[in-house]
Amino acid sequence: MTSHAPVKDDGGGGQFTILYFASAGSYTAKQVETLPAPLPLSKLFATLEARYEGIGASVLDHSLVTVNLTYVEMPGDDESEAVIIQDGDEVAIIPPVSSG
Amino acid sequence: MQNSKPDTNGAANSAGNGVAMEERIQPSRSFTDEEFERYSRQMIVPGMGKEGQLRLINSRVLIIGAGGLGCPAAQYIAGAGVGTIGVVDGDVVELSNLHRQVGHATSRIGMKKVDSLITHLRRLNPLPTFVPHASHIDPQNAADIVSQYDVVVDCTDNPATRYLISDVCVLLCKPLVSAASVQKSGQLIVLNCPPTPKGLLDRKYAPCYRCCFKKPPPAGAMLSCGEAGIMGPVVGMMGVAQAGEAIKIIASALHLPPSDPDSAPERNLQQPTLLLYSYDLESAVGPYTFRALKMAGRKKTCFACGENSTLTLDGIKAGNPNYEQFCGLAAPRSNLPPEERITAAAYHAAKTRGELPEHVLVDTREKEHFSFGNIDGAVNVPFGKLLMTAAAVKRGGASADQILAPAELEPLPEDAPIFVVCRRGLDSQEAVEKLKELGMDNGGKRKILDIVGGMKAWKEEVDHSFPFI
Repeated sequence: MTSHAPVKDDGGGGQFTILYFASAGSYTAKQVETLPAPLPLSKLFATLEARYEGIGASVLDHSLVTVNLTYVEMPGDDESEAVIIQDGDEVAIIPPVSSG
Repeated sequence: MQNSKPDTNGAANSAGNGVAMEERIQPSRSFTDEEFERYSRQMIVPGMGKEGQLRLINSRVLIIGAGGLGCPAAQYIAGAGVGTIGVVDGDVVELSNLHRQVGHATSRIGMKKVDSLITHLRRLNPLPTFVPHASHIDPQNAADIVSQYDVVVDCTDNPATRYLISDVCVLLCKPLVSAASVQKSGQLIVLNCPPTPKGLLDRKYAPCYRCCFKKPPPAGAMLSCGEAGIMGPVVGMMGVAQAGEAIKIIASALHLPPSDPDSAPERNLQQPTLLLYSYDLESAVGPYTFRALKMAGRKKTCFACGENSTLTLDGIKAGNPNYEQFCGLAAPRSNLPPEERITAAAYHAAKTRGELPEHVLVDTREKEHFSFGNIDGAVNVPFGKLLMTAAAVKRGGASADQILAPAELEPLPEDAPIFVVCRRGLDSQEAVEKLKELGMDNGGKRKILDIVGGMKAWKEEVDHSFPFI
């Protein structure tokens, strides 16, 4: 998140880690990968949709998202804060689980 | 203290020092000898003490669901001495439950789960009052049941019920300990705690289930333990953690209105944590086993607890909101025309008569299911993999042939049919639509057919000895 990650001045070469939990992991067939940083949070879902077509409707739309272990509001719900995912950040996609 | 036993263990000294202390505890009551001994080891834990134990004894906890989460949760809640324990479940004990539902027993297969679990709990601790509610929770009975308790533990197994329970807890101001688990992962979160009337937003309040998960996943994307499987220790861990959270809420009196209203703002500032447990059977040293995520508070726009909430108990009873519809349970996922479907019996008969010399049978179950038994000649293309390859084909990153193992289709005439079978007949319908979308029907020359009812129907109609799992 903007507050505590080193800001890359070249705008490239950095990367963030993204974790896919539960059905997000089934959909992408991986639990973790790295993607180029910086990336505005508002572009995250589009970036993932381009890599995994259909993931938006199947997984992302009902998932919650964290950056560095903290819940973030996806832009659109609240436009006031423009979060940029930075080099070294850890993002997680967490769909609800229902069984028990 | 009149009930103090001789100083044979540390509990006697730490349990309180005199009448003055005892009088401040509401309602005032002393321990029986049995209680004193039974709860001694937890009463001496810092923070619990006599006060915490009396709160447990005076509290009423509702456990909704007597399955993989509910059994371990109930064991520790009963063991800890919660005074009244309600259990809600409409199912009966089955053999396939027992690897994880540790409150039942082989000798109680066929018994109502609520009765089986309460039998187990009474043996563990006969002191609490146990209340069986032997039906599933639904919009008609939810408020009546929940209103009899102080804390609710959600151990259910489907999204519609989770939203219902959360909404009722918001309206009745009950803290909710929610957990869920499927296959190899689990989630746990304490919601609505301390409880605050809906619509209040003047400071940071605890979220409800809808604040965290605004929308349910599409009905087809939600796996049940029966379909996806579940590891006993994973769901067990989440259930035990639920008991821990429920005990903590009660011992620290968060289920009660604040004794000092001035301290209320402070106790409302607690930041909830979502605990994730991921259990990877393929890589024993995965770095992401436990994650504790900081969640946000109540959402201003929340449908249930936000500022414009129109939710009411009467509305819920009258079918508003409609939970089944909200969770997409009302509409079937796919509706193939009859000419694109064939029964398992008809497929078998045609094959036996030699009417299907050249065809492909695609089985879209997971490879674990497939490994226990499959129809002779079937090609295993797990549904998730099929969807992913289909997406790659659409993007131009793969050729349509890759959906099925390329060798399987190459030598076939372009009009040789493809049959698709899955576990119970839902995924296969979607797979038929995907294959057609990708042009695998060769412009209509090739038929792509869904086997109605999946391998379950195959077992019922064709091969009774088939090991359906």
